[in-house]
Amino acid sequence: MNQSFLNTLQRIVGQGGFVIDPGERLTYECDALTHVREVPGAVVLPGTTEEIQKVVTLCNRERVPFVARGAGTGLSGGARPLADGLLIVTTRLNRILDIDIPNQRITVEPGVANLEVSRQVATHGFYYAPDPSSQQICSIGGNIAENSGGAHCLKYGFTSHHVLSVEAVLPNGNIVQIDGPALDAPGLDLLGVLIGSEGTLAIVTKATLRLLRIPEATQTVLAAFNSTDTAAEVVSGIIKAGIIPAAVEMMDRLTIEAAEAAVHPGFPNADAILIVELDGSLVEVEALMQRVEQICYQNNVQSLQRAQDEAERARIWKGRKAAFAAMGRVAPNYYIQDGVVPRTRLPEVLRKIRQLEADSGLRIGNVFHAGDGNLHPLICYDSNLEGQAELAERVATEILTYCIEAGGSITGEHGVGIDKAKHLPKMFNDDDLDSMQRVRRAFDPKGLCNPGKIFPTPRLCGEIPGPYREHPAERTGQAERF
Amino acid sequence: MKADSHVEQLATEARSIVGSAAVSGGGEKDAIDGIVPKLIVEPPDTQTLAEILAWASERQQSVLVRGGGTKITWGPLPSKLDVVLSTRHLNAVLNHRYGDLTATVEAGATLATVNDRLSQHGQWIPLDPFLENQATIGGIVATNDAGPRRHRHGSPRDLIIGVTLARVDGRCTKAGGAVVKNVAGYDLSRLLTGSFGSLAVILSASFKLAPQPHSSRTVVVKASSLSELGMIAMALLASQLTPTAIESQFPECLLFVRFETIVEAAINQAERTVKLAKDLGKQSTILSGAPEEILWRAHSARPWEEPGLVFKVSTPPADVTNTLEWISGAAEKHRVKWEAVGRAGLGVQIVRFDGDLATQIDLITSLRSRLKSPRQGSVVLLRGQPELKQRIDTWGPLGNVVETMRAIKQQFDPMGILNPGRGPGNI
Repeated sequence: MNQSFLNTLQRIVGQGGFVIDPGERLTYECDALTHVREVPGAVVLPGTTEEIQKVVTLCNRERVPFVARGAGTGLSGGARPLADGLLIVTTRLNRILDIDIPNQRITVEPGVANLEVSRQVATHGFYYAPDPSSQQICSIGGNIAENSGGAHCLKYGFTSHHVLSVEAVLPNGNIVQIDGPALDAPGLDLLGVLIGSEGTLAIVTKATLRLLRIPEATQTVLAAFNSTDTAAEVVSGIIKAGIIPAAVEMMDRLTIEAAEAAVHPGFPNADAILIVELDGSLVEVEALMQRVEQICYQNNVQSLQRAQDEAERARIWKGRKAAFAAMGRVAPNYYIQDGVVPRTRLPEVLRKIRQLEADSGLRIGNVFHAGDGNLHPLICYDSNLEGQAELAERVATEILTYCIEAGGSITGEHGVGIDKAKHLPKMFNDDDLDSMQRVRRAFDPKGLCNPGKIFPTPRLCGEIPGPYREHPAERTGQAERF
Repeated sequence: MKADSHVEQLATEARSIVGSAAVSGGGEKDAIDGIVPKLIVEPPDTQTLAEILAWASERQQSVLVRGGGTKITWGPLPSKLDVVLSTRHLNAVLNHRYGDLTATVEAGATLATVNDRLSQHGQWIPLDPFLENQATIGGIVATNDAGPRRHRHGSPRDLIIGVTLARVDGRCTKAGGAVVKNVAGYDLSRLLTGSFGSLAVILSASFKLAPQPHSSRTVVVKASSLSELGMIAMALLASQLTPTAIESQFPECLLFVRFETIVEAAINQAERTVKLAKDLGKQSTILSGAPEEILWRAHSARPWEEPGLVFKVSTPPADVTNTLEWISGAAEKHRVKWEAVGRAGLGVQIVRFDGDLATQIDLITSLRSRLKSPRQGSVVLLRGQPELKQRIDTWGPLGNVVETMRAIKQQFDPMGILNPGRGPGNI
């Protein structure tokens, strides 16, 4: 990036939207994958789609790589900047553009926080379904890039099920409208492939989202078991009974104890707990919750507690959501993975993880979305102890291998980013990756849009292998891991 | 004579790849919009399918993939029709992981066969598209076709979790996987869904399944006008009721609201729907059992039974009424009959419209210009005589995304042999 390029950038976004000071640029050196850092060459915070278009057009002309960033809560390094590249931060694009209650849609700019969408329409009786745990601060633009999920995607799906259309700036600087407020826009499903492309195909500048009616009834039950195996049996039993809960979460002893110590949710002393939430019509929820409780009893549930009111329900969820941060009480550091296994393979994979815990000497907490088999093993270690950080990373890699062997995936919702790019070939062969790269080339023939992410490269510039470190937003209590 | 020997030469080459029994000459029954293909090739397995694709690519022979053939005429006139590649021998349910609520099935299996098999464990792929007894998985995915239950379960793009495909270079590749939650790599499953066979050949697909419903009730509401019909549909959307389908029929002015859940909840919601309609001054009845099934079977056949132009018009749900009123006005002006059925809660209507060629052209053109831009809605031709397809763009305007779509086509099918000119946006 030469001076003339920087001057032009500054002219486009104005003084307030341009960051070149080394100290200020340091703020953006990583997302929530905090051990992979790189100070961006320059940072812009555009205020309009047109500014983004001009910036990207300039990058395309000058062949300068660029990375888009929302709130920076991504856990796989998708927004890790480039030393010789530009970081385009979308947080200033944070307006609600249109609320269309009759059609159950809302149009927002990408910098709007996930939870803000639901807040905007709550008085109308609607909400936005995807609920990543960082939803208080994570942005819709980032959610679209990562195809974010959350605890309630078992029943309601992911971001890709809830985005109707976007406006985006392509890597060549063209602004495109992909789909619209009506379904079935003719053409290839560009939106389908753009969502979850981790910022490698375009920068989203507006999004029209689908809103859901707040259900008539929601009931939550907390059930304790003497092993994760039994809890997993219960999950299978619920699914086998033809019940699709809104959420099914599991925690093991280590994470239960840590959460209990941290936020006192009143969790029972048990080897495993399940949080099962049903929603829908009152009659349906009431009848199915009885069936869920029956299944729990049939599996020797140790204790069963149905939330009696909204406060009790919130307390259960608070305990669940505090689990990640609470692991700080167990060990100074932890490494988190995001592998997925077919639900029926959960007991077997959890046993393997337990064996790995014994073999490695590192404690591993399990708190995860049991309904869809999305594990979040928390590998505890102390970075001050020689070799422990590397050991934690090896353990994390081993767990991903279990997931792949069980027919699962290396990532359920955190994305591949930089963190897992080297593992992608374990799921896909060269031909598979070539098919994906064809899409990449169609959108971004010069390879300027978030290069080095998702797909494995020989060695990533600036990549420092290592485990999870706490994100500043977590320290300040603005974000939780889920 | 020369043409015949050319076809014979191609047939000989194809036979050397897939075997004699799998190659035959195209006949009238294989014609698409009156154009007869040179060869019909029915590969016995995925490997030979991929090989025949590579061969066709090398010989620059166009390839049109055929499953059940139920939607084969959807799309523009073929610009070139050499080889029809049938998936009928790829019809296995490869895997039903019932504990995981997922299944992987080959492209040539019919939805009905697959769902019959999945029902052994009380599950199904929750799709009920046009002609589901004959339509194949590959065709349903390639066209992203969905029926009334789309209201609850979505369309194929919402249910597909993985795909294997054969590229024109003869490589078989995969994307996605067999687990419901998975963000590893690009979602090519979705890109292939609705691509009308223009990028690659779908070999198999994995789906998220649903439990079969315990029971069902359908409320039939009789309205006296389109606007009344629309008002009731919008009131249902705004309510906390959870129907699996909200379907409208015109000119009968009927609304079918279906609830599929445990019996006490289905009855409760149906009764609440009756009350909602009554509060709006409309009478309704609740159907279950055989009468309900008969109603849905008859509905599913609409509006294809009668001849005439059939198109899909998609708008935001709140615009359905005024769009249909506009079509009604056009029908009155031209003194022709018309009918519409569709997803009232989603804004997707299938319209059949009589009239001569000039009338049909005028209707489509005017309706598209009324919708102003592809962002406000779209009109896609599903069934029309070849003369109409020569005069009218099947897809309508695509907006400024068409260049990217062409770039993707170029990457996957540089020679343009796959369903040439017929894919979305005529790619």
